[in-house]
Amino acid sequence: MTPNRTTGEGLVTRPMLVLFALLLSLPLWIERVGLYQYLGIEIVTWMIYALGFNLLLGYTGLPSFGHGAYFGVGAYAFGLVQLRLVESLWLGLVAGVVAAMVAGLLVAGLISHRRGIYYALMTIACGQVFWFVSVKWHSVTGGEDGLLNIARPTLSLAGFSVSLRANLALYYVAVAVLALTVVGLWRLVHSRFGKALQAIKQNEMRAGFVGYNVWLYKCLVFTLSAGIAGLAGSLFAMAQKSAYPDVMSLHSAGLIVMMTLIGGGFVSFWGPVVGTAVFFLARDLLGAFTETWLLWYGLMFMGIVLFKPEGIVGAWQDLVRRRRAGRGGSAGFLSRFWS
Amino acid sequence: MRTRPGDMGPSGERSDRVDFILNLAPHLLNGLSLGFLFALIALGFMLIIGVMELINLAHGSLFALGAYVAMVVIAPTASWGGALGAWYLTQPIAFRYVLALVVAPAIIASVGMLLEVCLRRTYGKDPLYGLLFTFGAAMVIEELIRIVWGSAEKFLQVPQAINGAFLVGGLIYSKYRFFAAASALLLILLVWLFLERTPYGAMIKAGAHDSEMVRALGINLKRLRLFVFGFGTSLAAMAGIIIAPIWGLRPHVGVDAVIPAFLIIVLGGVGSFWGAVIAGVLVGLAVALTAVYVSEWSLLSMYLLLIAVVTFRARGLFGKKSILEV
Repeated sequence: MTPNRTTGEGLVTRPMLVLFALLLSLPLWIERVGLYQYLGIEIVTWMIYALGFNLLLGYTGLPSFGHGAYFGVGAYAFGLVQLRLVESLWLGLVAGVVAAMVAGLLVAGLISHRRGIYYALMTIACGQVFWFVSVKWHSVTGGEDGLLNIARPTLSLAGFSVSLRANLALYYVAVAVLALTVVGLWRLVHSRFGKALQAIKQNEMRAGFVGYNVWLYKCLVFTLSAGIAGLAGSLFAMAQKSAYPDVMSLHSAGLIVMMTLIGGGFVSFWGPVVGTAVFFLARDLLGAFTETWLLWYGLMFMGIVLFKPEGIVGAWQDLVRRRRAGRGGSAGFLSRFWS
Repeated sequence: MRTRPGDMGPSGERSDRVDFILNLAPHLLNGLSLGFLFALIALGFMLIIGVMELINLAHGSLFALGAYVAMVVIAPTASWGGALGAWYLTQPIAFRYVLALVVAPAIIASVGMLLEVCLRRTYGKDPLYGLLFTFGAAMVIEELIRIVWGSAEKFLQVPQAINGAFLVGGLIYSKYRFFAAASALLLILLVWLFLERTPYGAMIKAGAHDSEMVRALGINLKRLRLFVFGFGTSLAAMAGIIIAPIWGLRPHVGVDAVIPAFLIIVLGGVGSFWGAVIAGVLVGLAVALTAVYVSEWSLLSMYLLLIAVVTFRARGLFGKKSILEV
């Protein structure tokens, strides 16, 4: 059940190139297939969030059911910087990541000595605390309504500046952030640190006996994952021009678990990416036909948990493996694609 | 709950401390009754964790579904069933309420048993799968409620006899709250008697202690689990019916129920009956007493209580080592 580690070499791999090409060309064709530009920003933002989340769920085996909290903290921090301090993209992003990491570190310090289901329950409780505070702390968070009218700041980099008011510009910023996240996480999970995480996933106690400081690793990975969620949250605040408590609710935190698992986060680095795309396409395509799409999505999730917890990528890998066995074992392009 | 202004007594003659305690007494009572309700919510959740080592995150949704079903049983749409339906509506509401207390938990128990049958695939695997499955189930049930009954707030009718308010020693107390707390306490005691004094209870406790051994002794573990799941979820429905008139009925009321439930179990310690009851009362008291000073933030106190206790006692107040930690 551990994500495949065989093709860890190289800074940029083939699936990455395919993903980047697809995303970079997206604005050219998304409207022709009946969708809209803004959807791209949403998908990319949640892909970042899901990738960071899967560092916990898929790689370390730590179920966090309150991850919406860090996404939300990032969004609020970004918004507060824009509204109260200064309109600055970089400062906002840094604030979003740092605030989420601090929140994550606080929680991680509290729960990292727990395991299994206890861990999951503690993440829910801590997540609810953040949600509750965001709803009640009117003077800072704006209560139920949240922070409104968050400006989309101007991107200025090396003497070159562009306004992010247009969705297209923001989309490319989001894709750039995603690209950095993907490359960074890919390196991370194939580093010594990543191997330690996978050892913890397989057997926490054994990882401890081998000499890893399990508590420290769990703390670090949680903080990092929270930071990535905060980064995604900052992008979300820009996209929505607002930050509100809803993203921190248990419901929303559950959606990220569902996306990651349905995509195949347990077996593949790319599971969360696939799962996010499937979720948003299901929302828009099924949602066009029926108001009740979330019901069907939930039923699909239940089915996948029971029958194919390896998710969509897992099913694909099985298909490829079966075909290869039929063809007599030559490892083709398809089999090496999802690593 | 309020104190009657006339009954405060000549304030100059009482010491401040007595005054303080007298002022606090209604809040303590309030907290205690809230605590019994919380313990009631946690009861079915606890049974399922104890025997199946499964966190049933659908507990809250089944709680809500039970209350919605009861609402329909008490006041079905008049056009249903023609003359029979019209006749039914002329029956006293107390009769319909009691009927709802039987029918709704039975329906929810069958839903719960259906979930258990599905869950069989996850036994022996990582307990995370059970958690994920019931999480999905919770979302599906919530959506189902939204589709059938809409998102607007609904109300559960209660018989006239338990509606309104009454006076105890100068305090105005809602009759229904008293009724709810008393029936919660009664249900808790009944479940305890069932667990302690009947052979089925012995089987359930043995199943919680060592399920392999229970099977080796020739008890049908499959049937036991099905029964426990049905029983636990019917308790969720019962709690829903009792609490809905106080909390109101919205599709997402399930989240408000499942969170105290697991909080109380973690706080009290997995596998401890009285631990859960005491934790429920503690949470109730914490919420009610903080409400006196900072009413906006009172619900936060239960999370802080949990975090404080679990920081010092990793397994909660009375917990033993359980499979859930591995």
